[in-house]
Amino acid sequence: MILAKLGVGFLCVTVTAGSVALSEGLVHVSVHQKAADGTHLSLVVPGVLAPIALYWVPRSHLQQAGGQLRPWMPAIRAAVEEMKNEPDMTYVEVVQADQHVKVSKIGGAVNVDVDDPNETVHVSTPLRAIGSTLEELGSKADPHVTQ
Amino acid sequence: MKIEKRSAVAVGITAVVVAVVLLAGMGRARAANAPDRYLHVRVDGAADGEKVSVNVPLALAEKVLPAINHGELHGGKVKIGNMNTGDVDVRAILDAVRSSPDNEFVTVQQADQDVRVAKVGDNLVVHVRSKDADGKENKAEKVDVTVPLSIVDAVLKNNTNSEIDLNAVLRALQNSGESFVVNVQNAEQTVRVWVDGKNDSN
Repeated sequence: MILAKLGVGFLCVTVTAGSVALSEGLVHVSVHQKAADGTHLSLVVPGVLAPIALYWVPRSHLQQAGGQLRPWMPAIRAAVEEMKNEPDMTYVEVVQADQHVKVSKIGGAVNVDVDDPNETVHVSTPLRAIGSTLEELGSKADPHVTQ
Repeated sequence: MKIEKRSAVAVGITAVVVAVVLLAGMGRARAANAPDRYLHVRVDGAADGEKVSVNVPLALAEKVLPAINHGELHGGKVKIGNMNTGDVDVRAILDAVRSSPDNEFVTVQQADQDVRVAKVGDNLVVHVRSKDADGKENKAEKVDVTVPLSIVDAVLKNNTNSEIDLNAVLRALQNSGESFVVNVQNAEQTVRVWVDGKNDSN
């Protein structure tokens, strides 16, 4: 009986932790180098880790970036919130002779795809993770400096 | 009895949670499927084959623009140098144009280009055609602009303050149907700007 209760408790903690970890979705980074001996990297990271990681970075390291970002935060917040309501679509696409860049929204995530002669890069970031990460970065700005 | 009551409460709470989640999902799906209008910009480079395609939902622009406070852009309004037209009542001219029948108002013929400004329906139409040295039309270079008069109205709304209310322009674009079109073509590239209800520019 005690073991059953412990099992249920452990299960609840695991489900809760998993839910928290996945609450911001998953960030997917894929890099495929086209050289014969090139690197192939595929990384899947819970989106919640990005703002948490930024939280632990000393303010002094991110103050400048945060200061540049802070004036744009209202616009970024509005953009992220509105993009959640928009259907899947391609926002920007640039096709050159040797390069193809596409920024799109698919299923609640912003995707950036770059294809050039050397490598193919795919980055998929959930909108929720983008919003919370940029909020955390913006909070690193010097509070005594107004822009 | 206690077990039945507990089960009933649990079922009731579960039903409420499911209903809230479903309704929230339906709301989001309805918003995602609601008709929206998109501003498309397409640049095709004739020489190097470069293509740039930009698609912006007007609803997104309406939400973002008022939140930008940078340079001359504040709260969705942008200051444009000196737009003061002095004693010229631009709005009266615009009203006169709007109420007049379709007509060609301005025709300028120069050695290197011809310019035509006309009213067609509810739109202001501008055509610019370049000419070669021998005076013949250079088909590789031309500008065609079709702007609904409602958008011209929105642009000139605050001309006394030398500012353009971009929110008003966006609202006018939302209601303009598919009339707003800008085509600029020269030997190096073609630029097209238009508004429609599709979320891609193909």
